[in-house]
Amino acid sequence: MKIASLLLAALFPLCILAQVKAPAGKIRRDAGGKPDLSGIWQGIGVSLFGETGEVRPGEGRASTWGPPPGPAPYQDWAVSKVKQLAADDRNDPNVECRMAGTPRVTGIPVPFEIAQTAKKTYILYESNHIYRIIPTDGRPHPPELDPTYMGDSIGSWDGDTFVVDVTGFNDKTWLPGAGHFHSEDLHVVERYSLQPNDTILYEATMEDPKVFSKPWQYRLILRHPPRDERIMEAECQENNQDLQHIVPGR
Amino acid sequence: MRTLALAGILLTAPHAFAHHSFGAEYDSAKPMTLTGVVTRIEWSNPHVYIYIDVKGSDGQLINWALEGHPPNTLRRTGWTRAALKESDTITVTGWMSKDGSNRIAGREVTLPDGKKLFLGPPAQ
Repeated sequence: MKIASLLLAALFPLCILAQVKAPAGKIRRDAGGKPDLSGIWQGIGVSLFGETGEVRPGEGRASTWGPPPGPAPYQDWAVSKVKQLAADDRNDPNVECRMAGTPRVTGIPVPFEIAQTAKKTYILYESNHIYRIIPTDGRPHPPELDPTYMGDSIGSWDGDTFVVDVTGFNDKTWLPGAGHFHSEDLHVVERYSLQPNDTILYEATMEDPKVFSKPWQYRLILRHPPRDERIMEAECQENNQDLQHIVPGR
Repeated sequence: MRTLALAGILLTAPHAFAHHSFGAEYDSAKPMTLTGVVTRIEWSNPHVYIYIDVKGSDGQLINWALEGHPPNTLRRTGWTRAALKESDTITVTGWMSKDGSNRIAGREVTLPDGKKLFLGPPAQ
């Protein structure tokens, strides 16, 4: 009895830890045994959280997870540039209907679809018709990449977590947050962790030695929209009136 | 640093416009309610616009633009294109533009049959 009690006492913290780290239940898996991320997902947005767009405490519908990321760790010289850019929304590439970049695109409040196959994973975003083709066959990034808005992605698995390494960016997009510019040296590592409750814990770690003093994280909980959805057309350029009406200053 | 902290909060705002921040164009301190007759509907991206004629205190008609979510978001929150047509009389709540033009960020529309639908996000 005494030994059993000691054993129970020794194992109890491990049980608690296990509960925190991995909710009970199985996750969906593909034919190869990997977690199956395929489906329609969304991080934030009114159509995900209901018409009022309200997230009420206790509903278990937080949009983010993990420790708060804190302010973006810009180097001293860059802080004033962030403030300058943030003071006028006409500076925001998104207002010009440009592609949002990685990882900002994950938090644009419209859905996207992940299609996972054996050798490539595809992400199709409703925002600005962005697509990403992510090889998972072990190939490296191509040499001498031309800079692009979304960067070049290669995928691999770290246990049950899908890891996407993204490099080869231009400096024309913002990271999440007003005025959050970056350089072409931006390097992003995304981690997609499918949970038994059919959500994805998404984490993007951003490194940019030219503007950041240390890496910075962006985290979202990705959910399926409440109804059966499909990704639809959304041509952002067709009636973009906002550039004429935005007033500088916040 | 205050700007950065605010940006941090807005990183995951669940009810934002997808295309631009609310405060860039609209004043959360100036809520408005308008009743008028629909003159034009632009079911377009990146925003839907509904235009209504509103009679002022001097009897003059002023045409107002009501900005809302993009069409796909409205479909997902209960709108259809048939929900509204020209010559319908509607009431809309929202917030005034900052540039002084006759535009508001539309929040909730009351249709002729009394049904209420959200047109855009709350003020931020």
